[in-house]
Amino acid sequence: MRKFSLLLKQFSRSVLLVAGLATMGLSAHAQADVAKGEALYKAKCTSCHKLDQRMTGPALGPAITSETDDKWLTKWIQNNQALIAAKDPKALKIYNEYNQAGMNVFTELSDGDVANIIAYVRTEYKKMQAAPAAGAATGGAAAASDTPSSFMIFGLLAVIVIAFIVILVLNRAIGTLERLLLKRKDLLPEETAETEETVAVDRFATVKKLAKNKKLVFFFVLAGVLTMGSWSWVTMWNTNVHQGYQPVQPIKYSHELHAGVMKINCQYCHSPAYKGKNATIPSLNICMNCHKVVKTESPEIHKIYDALGYDPSTQKYDTTKARPIQWVRIHNLPDFAYFNHSQHVKVAGLECQKCHGPIQTMKEVYQYSPLTMKWCIQCHRRTETGFKGNAYYDNMIEVHERLKRGEKVTAAALGGLECAKCHY
Amino acid sequence: MESNKKYWKGLEELNNTPEFVELNKHEFAEPIPIEDVLSGTGLTGKTPRRNFLKTLGFGLGAVSLAACQKTPVHKSIPYLIKPEEVTPGVANFYVSSYNGQSILVKTREGRPIKIEGNPGDILGQGGVNAQTQASLLELYNANRLKGPMQDGGETAWSALDSFVKNELAAIKASGKQIRIVSSTINSPSSLRVINDFIAQYPTTKLVNYDPISLTGIIQANQNSFGKAVLPRYSFDKADVIVSFGADFLGPWISQAEHMRQYVSKRSHQALEGKKMSRHIQFESRMSLTGSNADTRIPVKPSEEGVALINLYNAISGTSLPGSKKLSSAAADTAITLAAKELVAAKGRALVVAGSNDVAIQVLVNAINSLLGSYGTTIDLDNPSYQYKGNDAEMVALLNDMKSGQVGAVFFLNANPVYNYYQSSAFADALKKVRLRVSFADYADETASQCNVIATNSHFLESWGDENSVEGYYTIVQPTINPVYDSRKAEQSLLVWSDNPVKDYYTYVRNTWNTNILPQAGLAGQNGWETLLQTGFVKTTAKPAGTYTFSRDLNAVAQTILSQSAKVAAPVGKLELQVFESNTVLDGRYANNPWLQELPDPISKVTWDNYVAIAPKTAKDMKLEEGDVVKVTANNYTTELPILLQPGQAQGTISIALGYGRTKSGKVGDAVGKNAFPFLAFANGTFQGNTVATLEAVGGDKVVLAQTQTHHSYEGRDVIRETTLQQYLKKSEEKGEKEGGEKETYSLWDEYDRPQYDWVMAIDLNACTGCGACVVACNVENNVPVVGRDEVRRRREMHWIRIDRYYSFDEKGKNVTEEKEIDKLENLDNVSVTYQPMLCQHCDHAPCETVCPVLATTHSSEGLNQMTYNRCVGTRYCANNCPYKVRRFNWFNYWNDSRFENYLQNDYTELVLNPDVTTRFRGVMEKCSMCVQRIQAGKLNAKLQKRPLADGEIKVACQQTCPTNAIIFGNAKDPNSEVSKALKSERTYYVLEELNVKPGIGYQAKVRNREAATTEA
Repeated sequence: MRKFSLLLKQFSRSVLLVAGLATMGLSAHAQADVAKGEALYKAKCTSCHKLDQRMTGPALGPAITSETDDKWLTKWIQNNQALIAAKDPKALKIYNEYNQAGMNVFTELSDGDVANIIAYVRTEYKKMQAAPAAGAATGGAAAASDTPSSFMIFGLLAVIVIAFIVILVLNRAIGTLERLLLKRKDLLPEETAETEETVAVDRFATVKKLAKNKKLVFFFVLAGVLTMGSWSWVTMWNTNVHQGYQPVQPIKYSHELHAGVMKINCQYCHSPAYKGKNATIPSLNICMNCHKVVKTESPEIHKIYDALGYDPSTQKYDTTKARPIQWVRIHNLPDFAYFNHSQHVKVAGLECQKCHGPIQTMKEVYQYSPLTMKWCIQCHRRTETGFKGNAYYDNMIEVHERLKRGEKVTAAALGGLECAKCHY
Repeated sequence: MESNKKYWKGLEELNNTPEFVELNKHEFAEPIPIEDVLSGTGLTGKTPRRNFLKTLGFGLGAVSLAACQKTPVHKSIPYLIKPEEVTPGVANFYVSSYNGQSILVKTREGRPIKIEGNPGDILGQGGVNAQTQASLLELYNANRLKGPMQDGGETAWSALDSFVKNELAAIKASGKQIRIVSSTINSPSSLRVINDFIAQYPTTKLVNYDPISLTGIIQANQNSFGKAVLPRYSFDKADVIVSFGADFLGPWISQAEHMRQYVSKRSHQALEGKKMSRHIQFESRMSLTGSNADTRIPVKPSEEGVALINLYNAISGTSLPGSKKLSSAAADTAITLAAKELVAAKGRALVVAGSNDVAIQVLVNAINSLLGSYGTTIDLDNPSYQYKGNDAEMVALLNDMKSGQVGAVFFLNANPVYNYYQSSAFADALKKVRLRVSFADYADETASQCNVIATNSHFLESWGDENSVEGYYTIVQPTINPVYDSRKAEQSLLVWSDNPVKDYYTYVRNTWNTNILPQAGLAGQNGWETLLQTGFVKTTAKPAGTYTFSRDLNAVAQTILSQSAKVAAPVGKLELQVFESNTVLDGRYANNPWLQELPDPISKVTWDNYVAIAPKTAKDMKLEEGDVVKVTANNYTTELPILLQPGQAQGTISIALGYGRTKSGKVGDAVGKNAFPFLAFANGTFQGNTVATLEAVGGDKVVLAQTQTHHSYEGRDVIRETTLQQYLKKSEEKGEKEGGEKETYSLWDEYDRPQYDWVMAIDLNACTGCGACVVACNVENNVPVVGRDEVRRRREMHWIRIDRYYSFDEKGKNVTEEKEIDKLENLDNVSVTYQPMLCQHCDHAPCETVCPVLATTHSSEGLNQMTYNRCVGTRYCANNCPYKVRRFNWFNYWNDSRFENYLQNDYTELVLNPDVTTRFRGVMEKCSMCVQRIQAGKLNAKLQKRPLADGEIKVACQQTCPTNAIIFGNAKDPNSEVSKALKSERTYYVLEELNVKPGIGYQAKVRNREAATTEA
């Protein structure tokens, strides 16, 4: 589905582009320089405005299109504070509507610059209005003909499963009927009964023969004991090991998208991992840094808004409606084990992926590592300590002597296997 | 420094009673009845086959069912909007102030979990006492009120405010009196609030009421020098200190400050300069201060005054009328010798008295004036504001209430219905008052008699300030939002007096901006922020003036003698002295389990008060330890158990105040008996001495939860002490080691120490035995409180304990064998030595070798590590520990309903340190040398990419110790503090002959005992 909608978008965009270029070519020299306007718009306006959506400031598309008094607009854009100070009624109305949050003053923009921006906004907005209509027209038809829906797939699967079950049941029925026939020989033709009997006798004979072979019996018993033993050993060994644990989270947050596609640094959200013990699930104000603007229509993002008591239309927080999001914790260390992220991430300089696996490809996070003590210790035994550039290790003479002797200084060599490093 | 002196922890050890011998055979008080099971009925009893199968089946079923339990789903709930300063898992420290001392409050995820001294604090210089450590738990007191109360029911603040305001208006119209009863207030902002309140309601008067007051000293200074102040004493400037019953290392005025000052003249720095102060104590009960004295002379309370008169005579060379000899010739000689020493140290001498009698304090002033103490060891110009109580005002209040003149009374940090000496009279009179408002944070004895409780916020929840001594202002900063619907008392007063400033925070800031910050050259927002970094403002001290006493002493002497005669017991009666408890103080901390379980420094009794009596007196009266007696004095009778206290003056008894609360909460109610009614109001002040009759009640003996002999060493030599003379002689002959180096053999391999070797040095000369370290350790390491019954079974969980040893003075020097004890006339002449005992982190630890599951192992940093999750509870290690420092978790103290009052409800458990595991039933635990702090300190250095500095990591007990008796550090660094301390010639290791190579070196005790006085 997503692929399809992406395709659709691209198609409609290219259509629009062509249309846009055509209109641009026509109107470019007539009024103002739309290209210059675009550059200025992107540099000065986008941090607070969007064309079709209310952000910190009003949605510029409809606002500028509906406002015809360009002189007033220019004045407002260049120095809105002056207008407000002069008690201009229009200016005051906007000012009050946006909680008296003053817009930046752009006295550096010349009248021409402002005209360019206005031209750009109006043309761009026109294009935008044209685009969704076109998209909607083609979209509906395309959706039905394209990729099969998940309902279809599940339906097919269900049919196969049901057919399979039917076959099984029929087979069973045949078996039962045959057994009944065997019991009541009168229902059977003579010759068939005879053959059946001989076959049965033959079978028994082989089994008996094999049972007499002590070596073979021993082999089977041994194999059985070994399998059962190793199975129960592994089961017990892995009791409370939740490798691969992938619970359903209250919000469908995708690390693949954020860390993988968008390449957002892990530290952006998990900064405490570099400062202390816990990596922490980021607080929602971090999400809001982007999602105040990005993907505001998504129902998943609206879960964030609901949790915060945030109203995207008025951009106001209502703390009385706020309620925390209860994520399901995936990586659980027992209470008697002390683990500190900063020791590993900041001091040892480990990549997050070392323990958390290919997190940048995970749509939903699962526990990659077993998080057992064996696993911890193995790494402590193998990993050499990185002394370089850390003055902490400077006056540890014995450590340096070991290095001189060419010995490997691992975490374990510095006491990294001792109980009280993690248990206290 | 080795000697044959006999050290003993209690009379049972001295006399080797059969019970003691029997108990001492076992590590644990109640051994598992293995013998019975094996030899007796255990195996012969029939177990039918069916029963066996049933049990087996049930066992299997139960185990499989238990194993089927679903793994619980853990929820992780992040902040919605995270405060910038909070990083989960990283502690924040905020400055605040408690009892006038600047402190640091450690918070984790927004909740305070530990209080530490502020190193810049001028009183304790980073050290705080046990009560300050424990005050944290008051915040998490489960007993706190959830909101304001009116007539026993919950109400809203708005309703309460309008009610109180209407009442006040009516009272104002009727012209009746309004009183604010408060324990000493030295907060500049609070005082301003009260003044504003008085301006609004002019009939209001502030009554400073300290249940255990120092009015006597304040009035004596008024009489002698015209300055009604509590002076600041400088024990660090005194070479000779003579104290008459003043417990200045205990709760007297300013514990942490006095301890620090006192020890600075006695610790290793002082000894390196070959000097040490000399301290002589005359007292009737064995006090914490007396136990630390170089020479201690037991004197009856009634003879204290006479002794002071004699001292005055000896110093001045005159003779006051009515002077007479003391009943004990030894005490008389001691007075003469003390006088000589004091005169010799003129200008460096200090005499203090604990009495609250004005006349006695006037005489003390006269003596100090003769000794030139004013301006040197006593400062009247930079006085202390820690106690301002005026006893007469409180008595006047009672009369005013009785006569119906009082229309409204407010109680702020005051609980007179419990601790006024005539509490029932006070309660009756209180009923005549129309508006009774209490600012308590729980319904204490007084609050429950009030019609309004304007629930106060805890100091960790509110803004405020303090001014404990002249020129030293500290700020109280909140570290958590008010947990309940409480309101700071000052805020309530602001509202009720219609103050233009509605908010106490603004009010405090105004006070600082106008009055205090400018004194330190600070101003505005920057100044305020600087203050919140440092925690205090200190102005230049005024020069301490010299004062000369010039009044006639004849009348004073007469008053002293007549008062002494009143408290002198006739035949058949005893002299009773009541005193402030060393742990729960005046009862304020009665509901604090940490303090209730902290053993009294002297008697080592927890969870009770008792009648302390000299063994000889008890023998004469045919009383034994634990006998319940009826004590009658001042028309009040109560029943308490007997405790035989060596060192108690004969013919006297003493009882601790602060017990017998009835409305303190689950923990403190019905613990001990109230002794406040034994106080008397005489000569204008409350006095603690009186005459009492003692009557045996009979019946069962009471077993006090006394820890003194719980962890004994079968008389092994663990204490080393010497006298100053010997010590100086020894250090002159340096180089000649006795016997030369002994060759030792070891069964164990040595461990590698690539980076650190964590060790400790404990200076027995600096340890005063106060117990602050014990509480600090409890807070830091989530040590459970087990309660009185479990302490009786020797199951207290403290990781560090202070062993108190008695030994005989020279008079009993021949007593080394038990049979000679009977020859002793009495046990008056004992001296006391304290020894903090904790896991010694032996390099060849005996516990490690016996653990079958390797739950206790050695680290490459010299620590003996205890791994709880590995321990299966065989307790071999505890049996094999020569120092008896391992503790076994007999119960799940955190969720066992039998211990429901301690730290396991959802609210109180917030006090736990999240970096330390809470231990499960069936595992051993012991001092970890605060390994969580070591790890955190190292990590911090690593994160900052710098070497770890010496002194950067401080363990909890070390951090709180006001006398720096404990030094912790890396022995591999030859320049570290601890390495230097361990090089002292006083260093010895406890039981070093076992060759377990302990990691804690003790510095032997030195007593400044010159031949002359000692022989007295």
